[in-house]
Formats: sequence, C-alpha cells, structure tokens
Amino acid sequence: MFTYYLRLAWISIVKHWGLSLVMITAIGLGIGASMTTVTVNYLMSANPIPHKSSQLYNVQLDSWDVNEPYNDDGSPPEQLTYRDGTYLINAKKAFRQNIQAQANAVIEPEGDDALPFMVTARANSADFFTMFDLPFIYGSGWDDSSDDSKQQVVVLNNETNQRVFGGENSVGKNIKIGGNYFKVVGVIDYWDPKPRFYDISTGAFNDAEEIFVPFSMIAEEKIGRSGNTNCWKPTGDGFQAFLNSECVWLQFWVELPNAEAKEEYMSFLGAYVDQQKALGRFERPLNNRLNNVMEWLEQQQVVTDDAVMMMTMSLMFLLVCLLNTVGLLLAKFIGKAPEIGLRQALGASRRTLFAQYIIESACIGIAGGLLGLVFAWLGLQGIALLYGDMLKGLTGLDTSMIVSAVGLAILTSILAGLYPTWRACNVQPSQQLKSQ
Amino acid sequence: MLTMNNISKVFQTDEVQTHALRDFHLKVNEGDFISVTGPSGSGKTTFLNIAGLLENFTSGTFMLDDIDISKLNDRGRSKTRNEKIGFIFQSFNLIPDLNLYDNVDVPLRYQGLSSKERKKRIVHHLEMVGLGSRMKHLPSQLSGGQQQRVAIARALATNPRFLLADEPTGNLDTQMAKSVMALLEEINQQGTTIIMVTHDDDLANRATRKIQIKDGRVSELDVVSDRANSKIKATEEAIA
Repeated sequence: MFTYYLRLAWISIVKHWGLSLVMITAIGLGIGASMTTVTVNYLMSANPIPHKSSQLYNVQLDSWDVNEPYNDDGSPPEQLTYRDGTYLINAKKAFRQNIQAQANAVIEPEGDDALPFMVTARANSADFFTMFDLPFIYGSGWDDSSDDSKQQVVVLNNETNQRVFGGENSVGKNIKIGGNYFKVVGVIDYWDPKPRFYDISTGAFNDAEEIFVPFSMIAEEKIGRSGNTNCWKPTGDGFQAFLNSECVWLQFWVELPNAEAKEEYMSFLGAYVDQQKALGRFERPLNNRLNNVMEWLEQQQVVTDDAVMMMTMSLMFLLVCLLNTVGLLLAKFIGKAPEIGLRQALGASRRTLFAQYIIESACIGIAGGLLGLVFAWLGLQGIALLYGDMLKGLTGLDTSMIVSAVGLAILTSILAGLYPTWRACNVQPSQQLKSQ
Repeated sequence: MLTMNNISKVFQTDEVQTHALRDFHLKVNEGDFISVTGPSGSGKTTFLNIAGLLENFTSGTFMLDDIDISKLNDRGRSKTRNEKIGFIFQSFNLIPDLNLYDNVDVPLRYQGLSSKERKKRIVHHLEMVGLGSRMKHLPSQLSGGQQQRVAIARALATNPRFLLADEPTGNLDTQMAKSVMALLEEINQQGTTIIMVTHDDDLANRATRKIQIKDGRVSELDVVSDRANSKIKATEEAIA
C-alpha cells in the first residue's frame, strides 16, 4: 500500500501543482532560514576535541590593574604575561602544558623562480602537538629539549609542505623563514578545529595556522609575534622590556587527567600568585581560573547572543511557515472530502485514509526539505559574503545537517498535516457522497 | 442476508428532532432485486446509507450475513463494506484524477489482493461493461452512461454480496438509462442482490420486489414486473 499511497500523493501533488508549490516553498523557506542559523549555531557550539575536552584547561591569572578589573564581570584576562607564562611552562607542574601565541612569517622557498609568501604561524611549546592531537603525515612535533635548547625547528601543514616541497617527505630539510633557516621535523595532515578553542583571542573561527615553531623563537626575535596584546601600564622601551611587562598576549593550556590533578594545579597557581603578591605584583584578589574546553568556549561566548537570537527568530519563522502549511493543507484536504467519502464507501478505514494523506504531507515535506537545503546553502553563502573571514568555516552544510534539514522538513510537514488529515478523515461519507 | 428490525434514525439539532426512519423492518433475501421508491425526504437515502454502513442508526438491530452491525468498529465496518457491499451512485462518483483501470482498482487495493489478481478482476469487469478498450481513459473522456458502467464495474470488482444503487440512472438520458438498467438486471440474474433507490416508476417496476418508504416507514408494494412474475412462476414451478 505504501507505493500506492506514494503514487496517489504524486498524482495529487501534480494535479494541484500551484497549491503544492506554495506549500513546498513555504516549508522550504522555513527550513532554509532555520537551517542556516541552526548550522551556524551548531558549528559554533560544537566540541572541537570531544575525546579530551574535559582534560584540557585554559589557565587564567588576574595580574590586571588593581583599580579596574579586566572585564566588567570581574573575570581575569584571557591571556597571560610572558613572565607568568614562562614561569608556568618551566615549572612543568601539569601532566602536559603548552605556552603559545600567534605569529606570522614569510617563507622564502629555494629556487630562483620561487617567490616568498606569507604564512600564519603559531609559536608554541612541544606539548602543543600531543595535547591537541595534531595528525602527522611525516615526522612529529619537537620535544622539550628542542624548546630548552631553542632549536630552530618547524612543523608544516600539508598545504605549506605541498607548496614548498611538492608534498614529499620534507622531514630533515631546511626551510627559510623570516631570513632564518628552520629544520622541518614534521608535516601535519588537515587539522582545523572549529571553534579554534586554543586561541579564541584571534578569532574562534579562523583557520588553524600553516606552520608551527617553538615559542622561544619569539623571545629570540626569529619570528614576528601577532595577535592581541592588552596592557594596563607602560611597557618601557625595547622588546625585552615588553617581555617583562604586565602586558598579556599569550595563551597557556594544561592537560590535567583528573579532578585531583586539577586541584593540585590550582594550588600550585595559588602559591605562585601569593609569591608574586609578595613581590608587589597581582594586587587584585586571588582570581585564578582553570576552564576546560567547553567551559572556556561558553565563558568566551563563542556562540554570540546575536546568533542565538537569529536562530530563535528563524525557528519562529519556521513556525509561521508551518501554520501557513496547515492552512493550505486544510484547504486541500477539505477539498478532497468527496473523494475521501467515496474511498470510505469503497472500503477504506479512517486509519487507511490517515496513512494515505499523511504520506502526501510527508512527500510535500521532503520536497520542501530539499528546497530548504538549497535555501540554507544560499543563506550560508550569503552569511559568508556578509561576514567574510569572521565566520569562515561555519558556512558549510555537513551530512548531519543535511539529514537534519530533511528530517525536520518531514517532521514539520507531518505535524502540519496532522490536523488537516484528521479533519479530512472524519468527514461523514454519506454527506460527501450526497453532495457530489 | 440483510435484516433490519425496528431501525430508527433520528437527526438531532439544537431544537429539532427529525425522525428519518422509524420502526423500519426489512428482510432482504439472496438474489432479490428490490426497488425503493418514495417521495423526497421520505428516508430512502437514509435507509440506503444505513444499509451501506455509511451512517449509524439510532436504535434497532441490523444484521448482515449474521453480523451484528452495531457491534462493528470503524475498521470492521470498512472491511464489511469493502467485502460485501458495492455502491452505485447517481453522480457516478468516479475519482477524476484516476483512469478507469485505477478507479476500478480502488476497492481492490483495500482488499489487499495481489497485483495479478487485481489486474485480472479489473480487466474482466471493465470488459464486462464494454469498456475493456478504454482502461487508460480518464472519466472526463467518457459519456455519462459509460461513467456509470465504470462505477458498476468498480462495484462488482470485489464480488460483493449485494449492490446498493442510489438513483443509478438519475443523471442519464433515456437510452443510457435503459442500457444501465439492462446491465443491472443481467447482474442480478447472475446472482447479485440489488437494492435500488429510484424515482422512476417504470424502473421500479422492473425489480422483483418493490418497497416504498414514506415518512420513514417502509411498506412492501405488489410486484408488477414481468421479470418478477416470471421469476415467481419459475420458483413455483420449481417447488411443484
């Protein structure tokens, strides 16, 4: 009977193509608008490293001005000073720890015809690769000894390796970055966590960096630092003065395998801040924080209030489209009352008729869902055009969202079809047959 | 096969009670061709709707092949309607979007028959009514008489125990009406019981039994048709 119902649905949809088109368009618009915003919200609020997000903690210390909090809500700066960061990394009190900052550099490939090009870089310590599970094609990250001895080593992403070395195993080869030679120790496969949790300060949805160099290269001035810097008092002259200043500009992450380790690390941070207070720093009340990945993303409001508002409005729009579809289906099915009466006379039970017309509603929903996907794709392209790099990486439909869109459309159309179908199936056949 | 005892049907509005049928008694035997006459509003259609399980009655008992109809739920009534009753309507009631083949197919679908069996029955019955060559035509491409023949084919396709015909020739010209009536007589002669509501005394007289409904009550009239007489005579001869 299912194929029979599908055939009847097709005949009905084609016969009343104008009405069907209006319903399909209404559902398509509703689905398109809601899926556009749901997709953005879904990708914004996704867990970028689900298998260990609860063990990775961002470290915050409140070294800010005693007279004015860093944030209105009293939360400490999102980044650390160089002094604090280097102390924590050298202390090695966590299972793993990583100090990092954004940088940029110019690569000068070998060969007369090769032109230099700019890349985004991350200056980080050795544990970055193991903490954040970067996938390696060739080689690996560097080790702690390379950090300690300030070796000029680099990890390339696949794209950069393709560009400079034609994609071959470049481990052990040298590459000229910013006028200095770095030895390639590893090449990573595609890695682009969204949101880019490890450095929200430079954009939660920007692409991951193209090369990775030891954090010490910044202090050695072998690589140019970039990213956000916030200061609350003068820094003095020269780069060394800047490094010793109270400016916050680097991110610090630790991996703590359990609650006990977290507690111990908090105690360690507390002791450090107390020590610094004795030296005249950290004049604000003790305000150290350890947030795991999802807590960190929430605290940083990666999913903006605007995005949530847009999603709510688009879901309300879907509701309006749904109500319109209810009205249109009601008109269509009531118009079919004589046929329904006749089918009852010929042996169709209410349940049979209900199945027939709910399948017709679902068919309209599927068509609406597919159209909705087109609208959603257009909507996402529109957002990409409107916001550019700001929301780069959030404007793609993945399989789960496609399935969700069609599923939502079918569910929506079935919901929309319930009342009209129920009404239609409760017609009095004798009345309908008489009125024909 | 069909017995109605003390059937009454009351239509209730806020202020008015209308007795469409009252103290209605009728026994229909296998092979009967019953014509039902009566003035407008007398309750003919109500009777036909109750007999066809399209409408509930207010009180009384209605047995169909020893099934107490009042005890059936919607599914049971649908099944009984589908398997035992065929309908022929004044306005044909074909589904305009479906071709003749698919129209006749409708009740067979609800019987859950195999595709092969359905095809066999559809082709047989459409050929029986002389429309075997027009199976892919839509109802709108046929004359009124042809549409009524399709409706008859559809009614017969499920091999029902009896046919309920509501003014089957009401929308047809005289020639078409005669042809449809002849077809009904032929079907009856093959053993199908027919109950036919009509305003036309000539057609009513061609039935083997003639009942009249007046003010919701039924009365049996004398049978006047040659066909009926010959049938009675044949029965008497058989008994003798």
